[in-house]
This record gives sequence, C-alpha cells and structure tokens, in this order.
Amino acid sequence: MYWRYCLKRIIYGLVTFIILIFIFSALFNTTMEKTLRSQIEEEIRAETLKMDTKMTPEEITHFIAERRAFKQHLYHLDKPIWSRIIWRAIDVLSLNFGKATIMKSSAGETDVWAIIAECLPRTILLFTTAIGINIILGLLLGLKKAQKAGGFVDKITSIGTMVVYGMPSWWLGMLVIMFFSYKLRLFPSGSLHSIPPPSGLAYYIDLLYHMALPVLTLVVIGFWGSSYLIRNIVLGILQEDYIMATRTRGIPERKVLYGHAMRTAAPPIVTMALLSLLASVGGNIIFEGIFSWPGLGNLYWISIEQNDVPVLMGNLFITTALYMAGLVILDLVYGFLDPRIKVGGRR
Amino acid sequence: MIDNNTILRVSNLKIQFFTSKGIVYAVDDISFSLKKGETLGLVGESGCGKTTAVLGLVKMVPIPGRIISGSIEIDGENIIPLSETEMRNKIRWTKISMVFQGAMNCLTPVYTVGYQMMETLQKHKEMPYPEARKRIINYLNLVGLSEDIIRRYPHELSGGMKQRIVIATALFLEPEIVICDEPTTALDVVVQAQIINLLKELKQQLGLSVIFITHDLATEAEVADRLIVMYAGKIVEVGTNENIYGSGNFSHPYTKKLIQATPRLHEKVSELSFIPGIPPDLINLPAGCRFHPRCSEIIERCKKEEPPLIEVEKEHWIACWRIVNE
Amino acid sequence: MRWPDIKEGFRNFWIEFKNIKFGLFGLFLLFIFILIVIINPYLVPFPDASSRWRDITYWEDNPVSAPPLWINWFSSVKRASSSIISEYTLTEEKKGNLTLNKMIFEYEFFYDRPPIDIIFHSYVVGSPVIILSMERPDGKIITLTKRVISKITGEDIRISIGNDSRTESYNFGMKYENPEQNRIERELIKPTRILFAEAEEGILVNPSFLKGIYKIMVDIVLPSSNDQVSESSLFISGGVSGWLGTDSAKRDIWSGIAAGVKWALLIGLLTAFTSVSIGVIYGVVSAYLGGWQDSLMQRIFEIFVGVPLLPVLIVMSAIFRPNIWTLIIMMSCFFWVGPVKTVRSMGLQIKEETYIEAAKAFGASSSRIIFKHMIPLLIPYSFASMALYVPSAIVYEASISLLGLGDATIVTWGQILHDALRGGAVINGLWWWVIPPGLFIALMGMTFAFIGFAMDKILHPKLRTR
Repeated sequence: MYWRYCLKRIIYGLVTFIILIFIFSALFNTTMEKTLRSQIEEEIRAETLKMDTKMTPEEITHFIAERRAFKQHLYHLDKPIWSRIIWRAIDVLSLNFGKATIMKSSAGETDVWAIIAECLPRTILLFTTAIGINIILGLLLGLKKAQKAGGFVDKITSIGTMVVYGMPSWWLGMLVIMFFSYKLRLFPSGSLHSIPPPSGLAYYIDLLYHMALPVLTLVVIGFWGSSYLIRNIVLGILQEDYIMATRTRGIPERKVLYGHAMRTAAPPIVTMALLSLLASVGGNIIFEGIFSWPGLGNLYWISIEQNDVPVLMGNLFITTALYMAGLVILDLVYGFLDPRIKVGGRR
Repeated sequence: MIDNNTILRVSNLKIQFFTSKGIVYAVDDISFSLKKGETLGLVGESGCGKTTAVLGLVKMVPIPGRIISGSIEIDGENIIPLSETEMRNKIRWTKISMVFQGAMNCLTPVYTVGYQMMETLQKHKEMPYPEARKRIINYLNLVGLSEDIIRRYPHELSGGMKQRIVIATALFLEPEIVICDEPTTALDVVVQAQIINLLKELKQQLGLSVIFITHDLATEAEVADRLIVMYAGKIVEVGTNENIYGSGNFSHPYTKKLIQATPRLHEKVSELSFIPGIPPDLINLPAGCRFHPRCSEIIERCKKEEPPLIEVEKEHWIACWRIVNE
Repeated sequence: MRWPDIKEGFRNFWIEFKNIKFGLFGLFLLFIFILIVIINPYLVPFPDASSRWRDITYWEDNPVSAPPLWINWFSSVKRASSSIISEYTLTEEKKGNLTLNKMIFEYEFFYDRPPIDIIFHSYVVGSPVIILSMERPDGKIITLTKRVISKITGEDIRISIGNDSRTESYNFGMKYENPEQNRIERELIKPTRILFAEAEEGILVNPSFLKGIYKIMVDIVLPSSNDQVSESSLFISGGVSGWLGTDSAKRDIWSGIAAGVKWALLIGLLTAFTSVSIGVIYGVVSAYLGGWQDSLMQRIFEIFVGVPLLPVLIVMSAIFRPNIWTLIIMMSCFFWVGPVKTVRSMGLQIKEETYIEAAKAFGASSSRIIFKHMIPLLIPYSFASMALYVPSAIVYEASISLLGLGDATIVTWGQILHDALRGGAVINGLWWWVIPPGLFIALMGMTFAFIGFAMDKILHPKLRTR
C-alpha cells in the first residue's frame, strides 16, 4: 500500500520536474545560447592564438570557420530550435551545466557544477540550524498556547506573530548588522569564517560565531509563525472527539497530550517544518546576500551582478530540483507518519 | 429510598454553560436513580440535555460548562467533590464507563486498536502482558470480533466494527455502570439490529447496569426496562416501559407526541405527525412549564409555574399541571 | 445565493469582526495608509517624489545624507534644520529706466552648527544683475556673490552660496585668522562654516558659531522694464532635514516613503486579488468537474507548485526586466497555487450537498452552479486569503527591487532599500535610510496580518476558546 503510494509520488515528482526543466530551457533558451556562442568564440580565439602562426590569412579564416562549425555541431547549435531545447534540457538533467563565464569556485574551477556544489552545503547548514531551533521553540511555545488557549500568553504571542508577519527577514538582518556589527562590534558582519580561517576546534567555533547573527535573525522572525501554526494544529486536534474519549477512559493528561494529541499532530507539524525548509532553499537569496553568506542564495546575487548566465541557470535548475525533491520527500514522510495513508483504506 | 440495590443516585443535578451569549441551562435540577442490573433508557430531542447529563456523571463536561450543584452518588459515594486525579484513577472506566455516540471518531487515528485497548487496560489494572492480551481477545470475541483486529488502525474498520470495539473497551474492566450514548444512531439499520442484540446479550451475561440514551423510542423499548423522558434540561416523565407505552393511563403531552410521531409498520399513515414548534433556546427559557409553547393541552397554570414530578401511579412520575388537576 | 443573502452574510461577518480588537486595529491602520495616499500632496514637502525620483534637479537643494529633524531633540549639539524662507521685505527704487530692488530675508540662527548651504531661487526674465550679501548679528556685512544674467526669456535661476562665495568667505575669514597658527587651503573651506562663525582667531579651522538673526540681502538691478525677478525664496540646506532625513542623492526620504505607500497598496492588493480569484475559481472548477478533468488540473497545478518562486522570479526579472504591471502579472501567475488545495477540498465537500444535486436535477448549468452556489460559500475564505497574501506580494516586490531588478520608473520601498544598500547606508550607519522603508513594509504587513488573522478567526470557530 505504502510502497505503491511512494512509487506514485516519486514518479509524479520526476515527471513534473522534467516538464519544468523543459519549460525553463525553452524560456531561457535565447539567453543561454547567446552565452554559449560567445564562449565558443572565446575558445576559438584562444585556439587560434596557440596555433602555428605561419598560416596564410585564408587558411586562418578557413580554420576558424571549421572550428566554429565543429563546436556548433558539438553543442547542437546547428539544429532546429526544438531540438536545441531538448538537448539543453538533457544537458541539465545530466548535470552538465557548462562553464561559468566569469566566476570561479574557491578551488579556481570554472565548472558550474563545482561552483554550485560548493555553495550548497553552506545554505543547508545555516537554514537547517535556524529552522531546527524554530521548530523546537515553536513546539514549546505552541503547546503552551494550545493548553491555555485564549489566555494571556496565547493572545500576546499571537499579536507578536502578526507583527512580524510582513517583516522581511533580510531587513531585520540589515538592522541587526548595523547594530551588533557596526555599532556594538560584537559580531562579525557576515561571511562564513574569518580570514584566514582557523583550524581544528577553533574552526568550528569560528563558524558558530559567524552563524550567530543570521541564525538569531531567522529565529526571531520565524518562531512566532511556527508556534502559532503548531498551536492551531494541536488545538484543532484537542477538540476532536477521540481526545475526549481517551480522557474519559481515564488516561492521564500527559499521555493524552504528548501521546495521542502530538502523535496525531506529527504529520501536519512535520509538513510545516519541511515546507519552511523548502521555502528557505529558494526564498532566502537576499538574506544570504546581506550576510555575505556564501550559499546558493548568495550565488544568485553574485551571478546576477556579474552577469554570469551559466551559473545563474545552473543554480536555478539545482534549486528547482531540490525544491521538487523536497516536495516528494514531504509527501513520503507524511504518508509514513499518517497511518491513514500508510496502511490505506478498508479491508 | 436508601436501597442496597441502587448503584447510582443523582440528586438535583444542575449543569450550566457560561458562553459569551449568556448562561445555557443545559441540565436543570434533575434527579434519578439506577438499580443494579437495570437498564434505564434516556430519551429526548437533540439538545435536551441527555448527553450533557451523562457527561456530568463522569465529570467530563466540556468547557465552558460546569456542574453547578447537586450530587452524584456511585455506590453511595458522592463523586462531585472528587479531584480529577481521583476521578481518573478510581471512577472513570473502573466504576463507570461510556460507549460513545458516533464511534466513528472515538479512536485516535494514529494508534492501532490493540494499542489503545491495552493502554486503557494497563492504566487501570496492573496485569502482565500476556494476561492483558488474553482478556482483550476475550472481550473482542465476546462482541463478535476476531483477534487480528488488534493490529488494525481505526480507519481500516467499518462503523459497526468500531462500535463493537468501543463496547468491548467499555466492558473489559467490568465496571458497575455502563452508559451508552446513542450507540447505534450513526449506523445503518442492519448493523443497528446486530449491535442492539449484542447489547441485550451482554446485559444478560454480565449483569450490567446500563443507562441507554437514544432519541429513537423503538430502540429504547427493546433495550430498556425503565425510561426517563427529558425535555429542555428537565425530566418530564419517569416510568416503566409498561406504564409509558403500554396500557398506561397517564402520559406527559410531550411523551404522547413522541410516541405518536413514531410511525408504525402496520398502520396506514396518511400524514406523518410531528411536534410543532422548535426546541427551546436554553439561554432564554420560556416561563412556567418549558414545554408549554408547543403543548396542545395547556391550562393557565402551565404558563406561569414549572410543574414538579409527581408520582401518578406506582413507579410512574410525570411533571404536568394538567395531569395533577385530573 | 441571492443578493439579500449575501448582504446578510456580510452584515453577520461584520458583527463578528467588530468584536476582534486587533482586526479593528488593522482596519484603522489601513485607513491611515489610504489617508496618506490621498492627502499626499499636502503631507510631504516634495509631492512629485514619485515621478521625479531620479531627477537630480528636483532634489538639488537638499543636503546629502542628512539625519532627520527630530534628531536635534535628542542631541546636545543642534544642527541647523533645512527650511525655506519665502518672506522678505522688498524696497524698490527707480532711477530713470533702471529699477533697483532690495530684498531682505531674515534667518534666525540659534543652532550649534550652521547650515550646509543657502540657496537663492527666483524666476527671472531679461538681464538683471543680482548681488547677494549677508549681514551678521555682530553687524559685519559680507558681499557674497554677484550674478549677471544675460538675456533669458523666463526661467528659474539658482544661486548657491556654498558654491559661489568661496573666495569672499575665505577673504572674510582671513581678516580674523592668525595665518601662522592656522593655515588652510581655500579649496578646502566650507563657506557657511566661516560665514556663521565668530569673527576671531581659529575661524578657519576650529570655529565657534555666532547665533543670532542673519539678514540675507539681495540687491537686484533691473536695467529695463522688461526685466523681472519674482517668486523669490531662500532655501536653507541644513545639517538635518525632513521628517526622515535625506539619502546620498539628496532625496527627502519621507517624500519617498509616502510615495511608496500607494505602490505598495497597489502591488499588494492587485496581486492578492488576482491570484486568489484565479486560485479559488481553479480549485472549485477542478472539484466540480471531477474525474479526469480534475486529475489533469491537479497535474498542471503540481507543475506550478514545483517552481521555487523567488529564484524563478529573480531570473525572469534579470532577463526580461519587467515593469511593475508585468511584475504583478508574473507574481499572480505563481501565487494562485496557494488557495487551490484548500478550496478544492471545500469544493468537494460542497459538491456532496444535496442542494447541488437538486440544482443539477433542475437543469442548472455548470457555471450557474459554480458561481451561484459554490463560490459564494467560499467568499469569506477568499477574503481572508487575500488579506494574508498582500504582505507576501509586497515583500516579493521589495526583494526584486532590492536586487536592482525592479521597475526604476516608480518609487517603492524596495527601491529605496536598494539605494540604501548601494549607497553604503548599512556600513555608514545611516539608519534613517535603512529603517523607515523596511519598517513601513513591516507595518503594512502587520496591518494586513491583523485583518487577515481576524477574518481567519471568524472562519474557524472550532479554534475558538470561549
């Protein structure tokens, strides 16, 4: 039952993803090809310079034309537009993003995939930490709110949720930097680590030190929302008949709350947590930029400024892939946690 | 009447709900008793206070409701002053258990049936695991279910099966009183009949004392010995089935209408009879007898004073001014 | 659903809404925002801020990166505030064909720091000669500058003392300065710092300032009767300026923020309305049609859901450089997926109701059933959703603008923040540039959050506690 559900979801996810990639390829085809063509010209120029300069002008022209035709054929530029789009999409799906125009990874590679692969773990590190803290605080506060719903704490914290609802995290980040970094000089204003990075245990402490401000900002904005949602989920469940029935059976309150109620609340809460994580994959581009945190988001910013189209495209594709994978995993986990899906319907 | 045979005595119970729109007088001064081995039916329209009253019996009245006054004596002990912990450990499920209305939603969807039954059993009776398991299986068999139900989740089961599980769970601690709150309402007729037969059997076998709530008089007549008719938070009639349905000379107008409204299978019915008007607003109650706006037999006194329960014949009480006059 | 039913529904809704305090507060805030948009021309010193945001001449007279006026209340060192003096005493004298006018502007200087510049504006026709001089409280008179206009047919002229009276100020200062102790290059002095300083040693390098009433005198020689100098005013460009200060391009930030209110409201409301409408209709139709059509619509829906919104918006903006309307359309194209899942399950429930079956049996057409029976039930939910989508739309637009990809022809709060970031506001601690735009984004978000949450509370009575 569950395996069938899993398989279905995974296949749907893959198909949707492939369709999306094709759509993107079609949409951005012109731009990507422009870059590709100019890259080809660069390569040819470099080759001709390396060549034996004893060739006559006609020979050189002939050589250039020959090389150009060869490369265009190699990159499928001489085929009709549909074919080109398909080839572009296939390239992406096989993780062949090409070379960056200007940017380099810290190891000096120009391979777009290498650049992206370097940035990905940093983004994951930052946001997983922040969201983890958010969820824990959210659970603590949300449960308290659900138990004494309508009480003073509940009302005040709900107001808090609404106050930060429209506040951009990156703006708060700017303020935090202005205050704690420049005015008080307590924390670094960004980046992953100091230059040069220390080694051994100090490296990790340095990393934590640099993570402090961004994580603080994210938590201050985020935990209100998660506590409010958790409160609603748990409250909704506490009003269900089976909770009252369980209490009538004499089961102690602690078990009712942490056992029956929380276990039932697990699927929607986990969904909420994963969705926040997913949102951060794409949504925190500016946040990373403000803190100069060299993750995927920051990569977008830099590649836009430097007009490096291959990196931008590659980043977009990876982000979409991660997002879709996240959605599929979300469904799988939800199905696992909720016996109504895991075990299926009536016999 | 102090009677060793009486295991439940409710005296002057009042339960009210404090809402933003006003105070709801859900249960307004009711008194009744339950004898050992007897099945007491409790009938009335939706919203008349039946469910609230029995929730009061286990002190599970939901917020914003509260038990205002009165006493509930189970086996001679008044449970009203007991604390939550004492209720949980000594009274609920051990002395008095409940079979809920709408068993659809009575079991937590994320735990297996077996887990929930075991949890309830182990909470109240310390038993080694194999023995506990045996008892659960025993009772499951008793209600006609096989042992592998234990591993199922509630959503995998039909309404009838779930109802049986709820019954089994209500019984396996062998409590003195079992309350059945409309256990068959949500089921189709065939299953209804099965469950009712089952209840009758169990009643015989285990010698249970049961309070059986329903709004369907036909079911009530089959299952109960005595019955209480409630209207708008008050008891309007108490009597045996014989008195009320049978050759009885006296009848409260409401009960009369209820009986009339039940169509008979072998009667020609040209028009369905019904009780005119709508159930009263429990915040703004009418003065005098609560039924008087809908009653077709009122006299002047009905509009001004509330009639008390008067014993009109042996084991038969009615609260009606007209009857008193006669 | 008939019109009276809908009216009844609204009235009931309003009765419930009235009881939720924070909902009312939200409405109040919204009212204030709308008020700001309406009375904008009377509220700000630079009403054309929106259309002339990138026009440097509009902002010429303001100081650069000046903090707000009210800083003076908290500071022991009070800087001169920017202001405009439009009143002057005018004496006319005629000598044959010539007319000699003398305008005297009075400036009360009781601050601890002098203004940065004093600018004379006037509308001039012909070829007058304008001479500016200043009389200080200590009686000394300095001729500041002389401007000869050559035959113009009516235009505004601008004479800046800070620019044009460098030599005269320097000479004035040198009269009192001790050249052995304090030397300073003429190019490096700031004229107003000398003009407003005590006439004593140290005037060039370390002045203390002379407080009192200064008279700026404008002598105008009009050679013929066709010449004209009118509509004159004196602009004092101070160390503090405006309610929210100025930015590095001399723009008054309060004017910019107020101009941004209408764009924020427009972007937020339009995007929210469009996307929720599309989403609700899509969800209901999908639920109603059922079967393979429903499945197909759900697959299409999933494709849209799989798009990570901000990166795609950014990439598309980077490549296509949209204007604000295109941006709203782009956002709506993705926002609509939000309500669909919930609306579809609500629609599926409604579909099971018997009155829908009855309507079908009566021969009602699908669109009639959908629009007259199903959608009205979803209107409360739609409004709550719309309210909660407005802040998201505003933040997305702000994000796009922050990256410099927004519509440069309008002023939005995101644009202001972009300029702030570029202009080094964070590094230089120009908090009055960074805080207000984001604060207003947060305030507007808060407003709609209050309203939306209040509506949500009414819709979910299960989560009530009393």
